[in-house]
Amino acid sequence: MVFIMGLIGAVAAMGFELWTEGSDYALVTAGKPHFSWQAFVPIMFEVTVLFACFTSGLGMLFLLNRLPYFRHPMLRSKSMPHITRDKFALAVEADGQTLDVDAIAAILRETGAQAIEVIEQPAPPGLISPNFLFRVVLGIGISCLVAGCLTYWGVKLFPVSIPVVHMLDQPRLDPQRAGSFFKDGFGMQMPVPGTVARGQLPYTIQKQEDAAVLANPLPGSESVLRKGRQTFNTYCAVCHGLLGTGEPMLTATYGAKPANLVAEKIRDYPDGMIYHVIMAGKNAMPSYTADLSGEERWSVVHYVRVLQRALNAKDEDIPKEARK
Amino acid sequence: MNRSGAAKILALGALAGLVGVLATGFVAGWERFWVNWIFWFLFFLTIGLGCLFIVALEHVVGARWSVPLRRVPERLSSLAVLMAPAALLGLLSLRVLYPWTSSEGLNDPVVAGKTVWLNVPFFVVRVVVCVGLWILAYRIFVRGSARQDHDKDPRFNVRARRFAPIFMVIFGITITIVGFDWISSLEPAWCSDVFGVYIFAGTFLAGLAVTTLAVLYLMARGRLPEVAPDHVYNLGGFLFAFTVFWAYIGFAQYLLMWYANMPEEVFWYKERLQGFWGPLVLVLAVFHFFVPFLALIPRDAKTEPKRLIWVASLMLFAHWLDLYWMIFPVLGKGLVFSWPELSFGVFFVTSCLLWIRRAMSRGADMPVGDPFLKAGLEFRL
Repeated sequence: MVFIMGLIGAVAAMGFELWTEGSDYALVTAGKPHFSWQAFVPIMFEVTVLFACFTSGLGMLFLLNRLPYFRHPMLRSKSMPHITRDKFALAVEADGQTLDVDAIAAILRETGAQAIEVIEQPAPPGLISPNFLFRVVLGIGISCLVAGCLTYWGVKLFPVSIPVVHMLDQPRLDPQRAGSFFKDGFGMQMPVPGTVARGQLPYTIQKQEDAAVLANPLPGSESVLRKGRQTFNTYCAVCHGLLGTGEPMLTATYGAKPANLVAEKIRDYPDGMIYHVIMAGKNAMPSYTADLSGEERWSVVHYVRVLQRALNAKDEDIPKEARK
Repeated sequence: MNRSGAAKILALGALAGLVGVLATGFVAGWERFWVNWIFWFLFFLTIGLGCLFIVALEHVVGARWSVPLRRVPERLSSLAVLMAPAALLGLLSLRVLYPWTSSEGLNDPVVAGKTVWLNVPFFVVRVVVCVGLWILAYRIFVRGSARQDHDKDPRFNVRARRFAPIFMVIFGITITIVGFDWISSLEPAWCSDVFGVYIFAGTFLAGLAVTTLAVLYLMARGRLPEVAPDHVYNLGGFLFAFTVFWAYIGFAQYLLMWYANMPEEVFWYKERLQGFWGPLVLVLAVFHFFVPFLALIPRDAKTEPKRLIWVASLMLFAHWLDLYWMIFPVLGKGLVFSWPELSFGVFFVTSCLLWIRRAMSRGADMPVGDPFLKAGLEFRL
């Protein structure tokens, strides 16, 4: 049972770590992958030990020794009030076979005992009685309730106050604060010249025609196309329409009709030139660099190609068996 | 087969092994020869030191239950004495195996910064001092105990108990030096603070495994009368506890290096996790931790001779594999196991068995002069 509880502890810790690190609060730590079993092991080990210890300790107390034992037969002794006050008692446990009760009583009488009682041991209750289970569940429930309320109200009623500062006081430099570490007294420093953020390679192409050399790095796979459709419908369809034909709805506002993306002119564009428009904007259209990541931009290019082909389908594009 | 017949076969085996050992040097090269030498010598040295540690442990804590069994680790610890000349001979490997002895090895600034510790004269001094201290401890614990068989002088127990705490400190330092000098400095740029503890964990387990095997062997021969399953249970409990300790230390070392990801640390693991060595680490983890741990959980497994024998043998094999995994990657050749390794194995195993047979045949099988022997025999859980 201890072993099984230990295993449960290990699995519980593992599951908890997978959940926090994998889905609930996925934080990249030290550049390691989210599923780094090495980092999980210490916590799994501790929780395994915790569960196993609790099981063996509490199991010993409550299952093997059957505590709390309020109806111990000794308590039914008529001399009990005296024993707790001003007299001594000697209890001899006899199972009736190995020890002769009468002989013991005789010995005790010889040595001058004031009172001798024979107390029958009632049949022990079953290991796990409904009453016992009820008390265990009740005990756990009350403990949880008390601990939860204490924690909740404790935090509510006694907010940040010394010494309970809830980790607010940390030896770190907050953003936008002065600091003594650097010569200029600023806590925050400008990035080193030439710094490039991850996934933010600088885009230096000025003319749309020059962008023709760019090739789409993404494959035209289903997942890429799905992403392209989602991005297109979010950002592009407002003006260009869900089919890319150019909605006339916003013409009055901008003074020009949004481009028809499935027209022959744009069909003949290389991928790079469509990409360039998303990067740099064109006519009334602003740049979408801040809104779309590089990957999203290239998926949109793929999806525009899909729209172009779908709206200009030829007979050969239809499978033979589907043609009439 | 009678007993002297077995001795003859062992002696023949040792001779045949010796031929293979010498052939290794001339045919397969001296690098291979010395790698094998330090590998096999360390394997038996750690067994001997582990047994010496068990003896000292009994004295330092004043244990009674282990008194009837004490003669077994006492005799086995003579392996540490047998390995003393092997250690001195192993000093010849310095120029062949250890990069810090050559000028090109010292080109690495990290290694060059360690010359205060890693230089040949100091290395030799350390080895000689360590060997001297082990032999001193052997004389005090084991020879003193053998003398007590005749003179029944209880003052031996007092002496041993006074020296045991001092030996614990000596043992802690010397076993760390063994790990740092013989194994870790094969790749001198690498260092790990916990390496000494890791070696200690393996050493203690190896000593325990061999002691358990020897106790069960002697019990089967009826040479340890009155020793109860309760005594054996304690040995099994020790094995159980320290297999977890070994895994804990081994994983702690790996985890910190994996987390920090410093190039001067991870290269050691990278070498030992790639190619053939990767699956070998899994085998090591399974045989050194998972199987013994699961096998020793039931209470019966710690007393039943059959189960204990295979668990202890497995752990001894795992310790051997552990050393192999630490030492052999320095050759940079992947899996190296062929006739040189086998002949070294035959040579070392047979000579150690001969040595142990000789030790086992002299004197009483129990410390009959120890005043606590009776109390030890009466031990019940």
